[in-house]
Amino acid sequence: MTPFFRHKAYINYRMLLRVIGWLLMTEAGIMTIPCIVGMCYGEGSALQFLLCIGITAACGLGLMSLRPKSRDMGKREAVLLTAMTWVILSLFGMLPFLVCGTHFSVSSAFFETMSGFTTTGASVLDTLEGVPHSILLWRCIAQWIGGLGIILFTLAIVPMLNYQGGIQLFNAEVTGITHDKLRPRVGSTSKGLWMVYICLTALLFILLICSDMGFFDALCYALSTMSTGGFANSDMSLGQWDSNYIKIVMTIFMFLGGVNFSLLFKAANGQWKGLFDNDALRTYLWIILICFSVFTINIAVQHLGSDWTDFTIDPLFQAVSILSSTGITEPDFNDWGPVSVIILIIMMVMGACAGSTSGGAKIDRFIILGKFLKNEFYRMMHPNAIRTVVINGKGTPNPIVMKTLAFLFMYIIVITLGAISLMVCGLPLRDGFFCALSAVSNTGLGTDITGLEGNYSYVADTAKWILSFLMLTGRLELYTVLLLFTPGFWKK
Amino acid sequence: MKIIIAGAGEVGTHLAKMLSNEDQDIILLDNDQSKLDAIDNNYNLMTYNGSTSSFNTLREVGVDECDLYIAVTPFETRNITSCSIAKRLGAKKTVARIDNSEFLQPQNGRILKEVGADFLIYPENLAANEIDMAMAHNWARYWGELHGGQLVLIGVKLRGESKLIDMQLKDITFARHDFHVAAIKRNNETIIPTGHDELKRDDIVYFITTPQFIDEVRELCGKRKRVIRKAMIMGATRITSRFAQLYSEKYDLRIIEQDRAVCETFATRFPACEVICGDARDIEVLRENNIYQYDAFLALTDSSETNILSCLTAKEFGVPKTIADVENLQFFSQAENLNIGTILNKKLLASSRIFKVLLDADESNEKFLMLADAEVAEMQAKPDSKITKAPVRNLRLPFGMTLAALVRGESCELISGQTHIEPGDYVVVFCLSGTFSKVQKWFS
Repeated sequence: MTPFFRHKAYINYRMLLRVIGWLLMTEAGIMTIPCIVGMCYGEGSALQFLLCIGITAACGLGLMSLRPKSRDMGKREAVLLTAMTWVILSLFGMLPFLVCGTHFSVSSAFFETMSGFTTTGASVLDTLEGVPHSILLWRCIAQWIGGLGIILFTLAIVPMLNYQGGIQLFNAEVTGITHDKLRPRVGSTSKGLWMVYICLTALLFILLICSDMGFFDALCYALSTMSTGGFANSDMSLGQWDSNYIKIVMTIFMFLGGVNFSLLFKAANGQWKGLFDNDALRTYLWIILICFSVFTINIAVQHLGSDWTDFTIDPLFQAVSILSSTGITEPDFNDWGPVSVIILIIMMVMGACAGSTSGGAKIDRFIILGKFLKNEFYRMMHPNAIRTVVINGKGTPNPIVMKTLAFLFMYIIVITLGAISLMVCGLPLRDGFFCALSAVSNTGLGTDITGLEGNYSYVADTAKWILSFLMLTGRLELYTVLLLFTPGFWKK
Repeated sequence: MKIIIAGAGEVGTHLAKMLSNEDQDIILLDNDQSKLDAIDNNYNLMTYNGSTSSFNTLREVGVDECDLYIAVTPFETRNITSCSIAKRLGAKKTVARIDNSEFLQPQNGRILKEVGADFLIYPENLAANEIDMAMAHNWARYWGELHGGQLVLIGVKLRGESKLIDMQLKDITFARHDFHVAAIKRNNETIIPTGHDELKRDDIVYFITTPQFIDEVRELCGKRKRVIRKAMIMGATRITSRFAQLYSEKYDLRIIEQDRAVCETFATRFPACEVICGDARDIEVLRENNIYQYDAFLALTDSSETNILSCLTAKEFGVPKTIADVENLQFFSQAENLNIGTILNKKLLASSRIFKVLLDADESNEKFLMLADAEVAEMQAKPDSKITKAPVRNLRLPFGMTLAALVRGESCELISGQTHIEPGDYVVVFCLSGTFSKVQKWFS
């Protein structure tokens, strides 16, 4: 218990910076992996990479040496820290793109890093030929770390954060309406979630390596698929292999990436019951099934299919890829026509289950919206009826329903404002809306100019910053970022 | 250690917060979601909404692998049922809160143990004993006996008449070695002092000493001994009832209570006590009952504010010893600064008792809690522990802890810089809250 009347600084900046120091050290540690891989391939860029690690580690150490007067961190610090962390780590994470022989401008490099960390998977690279291996791997690792959360990763390994302040950070970063704690202490909860994530990634890697993929490609695809990010390794993307085995394996793991990790953790510990009772998971399956059927019918009606895989594996792969916000597309998706684009937009907004690595507004929220509307209509007929929004057999308190509705409304506002700003920067109407939606929901697809494969190199620099901001806002589920722009947050 | 706390009432919540700050794995169980929400978002622990006496709930929170199960709902039968279920499902140790002295009797305790309630805490009983202790040693603010009375911990508020004021600790201990200043409470802050700290007027100073030097400490502080016979109690609450049950023969008690029905029950149950129906906040009522003649005034109503203010009024009337029950922890440290004698808090008493149970897993350690932000513990030095490596002055002990005294074999001694702690010694340690786990590392 802290003394009651100790003077508390308005915002404890020293402590904030110190924790960011820790996070930078973590980032520097992670950066060594692509650096070593680069060295193994004998790339000249490995040395420059080493320089980036040096800079990051030096700044990290500098900040860590700060001695805060008190270690108290409240809600305000947690929100500020979470948002700052993502920006600062992206700033340092873009260093390799700047120095390692790929001709990036600062805006492009920042965009690429933010797109990685937020698992959006939109790229500014025209072509991936000739890009060093270390850079390719760094993009995928960024996605993988960002998928579950940078702070969550640090919470799992740094014992210093395993106290009261840590819980606030956990709440600010992990996606979802409410947050399940798996274990009493936040450190062990994060460890549990990371264990699930690491095991799944390792499994995917092993399954991919059994296919035609080489070691390096298997590693990159494992990282970017599990995190539902979707960075590709070559211009051809998956078209390079045209293997049904790879598609099936990736479909399964993209699907898993969209499932609430707490549920996976519980299932791994033998609590299977909760898995089938979960409303979000059931709806997730239904939506996939419906989208799959629509795609298949669409293909059949337009006589696009020639092979049995065109009716089965391809549409299923596409449905899961978009719903889980991975954003890897089929080579011939462009030909599927306008119906599929509409379905695509709906799926992008939906996203997968809360508490997963996917983007979008999350199915859980749409379930609440749906049940709430159903109750409202019922009440029009029976004004005295009392009905609560029941999720997973439990009633949801009204404030949470309101918060969810406000969230969905804000989601639309953010997309609209984002789209308007993008249009001001010169994007056409359709592109503006599509790109804003794609960034906020962390899918990373583009249309027309940016192309379905998501190439953002033709977008103006200002638009790249706007998109980066939208990606971050979407990843941290609006409230954490937007709260910083309210006067109440800064008012003493 | 995994600890499940059933009941998010005042004691449960306080325990959960405290133990979570001590790096324990805490699950707090209650069937009122609104009580859980406030604590769930802000503390490093897990909450679970469910009934404390439901098999399914207890299985779901993993009671089979918990080290300690604490049932502290307001209902004793529910607590015992809940402990019984928990024990059968595999909890290693269980603690139940009760409010009935019958359960405490040794022959009944055995039966309860068979049912599955290993330890019982009875906060009102603890409070009643604490009041008796404070009345017996009425010149001290706080009185605690450690190691079966071989060491005494005394908290005294220094007034103008004390000889110790404005002296540096190193000068005091230079002159004499028969006591040790373990902690100083000054302006809401607890200081674990070093030799350079000075004692100031109005400080609450915590001394550790052996029984033969108690009188010297008292004289140095400029306090006089007084025998208490007559006590006035304000409010007929559960503490009052327990206190009257235990001590109505020992003291001459007068209980003032507003509610007539309650007064009548008390009058029937405790014929030895005088029961008055009236409002003790009313000065006229106090005058009518000759408050001037009383040696002690105990304010035990359910309202902390009323208790604090009434004690101040009683002091104005010249009552030498006042005791207030302050259940709001925010007021606790405020009340300590005021001119009120002893301050009770059932939560702190209950949690210190539970802490003892918790540390009993270690067999050799005991812990007391007495301040809002500092703790006293009695630890046994394990063989090869860090604390035994060098004399105390060379150990470079961390800030925020001090070693006060040790018990070696049968004898007790106070610790100075030269003392070399040996394995097997029991050491009395003072530390600031939250640093207890650090202290444990030094001893294991």
